[in-house]
Amino acid sequence: MSSRELEGYRSGQPAQLTDVLERVLDKGIVVAGDIQINLLDIELLTVKIRLLIASADKAKEMGIDWWQSDPFLSGSNGRGELDKRLRAIEEKVGLPTSDEES
Amino acid sequence: MSADGWYLYGVVEAPPGPLDVEPDVELVTEGPLAGVTSRVSLDEFGDSALSERLGDAVWLEENIRRHEQVLERVLASTTVLPCRFCTVYRTEADVRRFLSERQDQLTAALAEVSGRVELGVKAFVDPERFAAGGAQENEQIRELTAQTAQAEGGRAYLESRRLERLVGDERARFGQEAASQLHSRLLDAAERGVLLDLQRPELSGRDEEMVLNGAYLVSDRPGFERELAALAAELSSRGLELELTGPWPPYNFVSEELRG
Repeated sequence: MSSRELEGYRSGQPAQLTDVLERVLDKGIVVAGDIQINLLDIELLTVKIRLLIASADKAKEMGIDWWQSDPFLSGSNGRGELDKRLRAIEEKVGLPTSDEES
Repeated sequence: MSADGWYLYGVVEAPPGPLDVEPDVELVTEGPLAGVTSRVSLDEFGDSALSERLGDAVWLEENIRRHEQVLERVLASTTVLPCRFCTVYRTEADVRRFLSERQDQLTAALAEVSGRVELGVKAFVDPERFAAGGAQENEQIRELTAQTAQAEGGRAYLESRRLERLVGDERARFGQEAASQLHSRLLDAAERGVLLDLQRPELSGRDEEMVLNGAYLVSDRPGFERELAALAAELSSRGLELELTGPWPPYNFVSEELRG
């Protein structure tokens, strides 16, 4: 029991993984194109993390399943959105784009 | 033996003074800024290796937690601009180039959060405590509660269902009202604040319904905590529960231009 319970609210517990995830995956500094190690934009990396976690049985245990409610990943236009971002990233890193019409 | 890459956790003002960090965490200083880094193997963090690693939930959790822990130890001594997970540069020179090319933006972003921390506040409504507390402030619910207690058989069932629905509606209304009251009072006690997505119970790890998930940039922490305690005192008898998290590196308050 935390000493703060005397104040009427909880605090001081180790951080929940969910709270850490919603910060380190979605927030913080990222400058596209500056990362030398990956040709892929860090945003795509985040998407990949989510998709791959989605396929892991471990995911539920870890309590990570927000992709189910993420229209970008699960919605009907998710694929189109992903393609759009991919093209933008490919252009940024100077690769031939996977879709000629852009 | 493969080459090393440079994992960048965050950016601090240089020189930051003594930091209580793990021995493998190094500062890369460039002018008035320093990157908090550690060398990582490209076998692990390289382009193709990373794709594989990202499929490993155990590896992910370990490294996501490590990212946060390194930053928290830095945060104990100085203001830090947090980087996103897996920000990896190929060489030390690339880290320096980032720091010098973005010096103005980074310095401005640091100034915005200097001496301030991010605190998280989550609020939940406990259904049972609300039914016994906040719900009883509603006259219709009070009357129906009394009637239901006296009713028998099928009528008792129907009335208790009606009561349940009424309490549910009232709880949703209370949740919204409490959330906006909390957010506006906490904003007054903070420099800035943002609302994050509400977490469903399987994510929050709590059965109660989350009604507020806020992040606040705070310079007067004792003042903020006093306001939170005052809000808890006002609202907890009606079934509201509050949780304070942090201090976090100011993830939610880094300048927009520095966000992807």
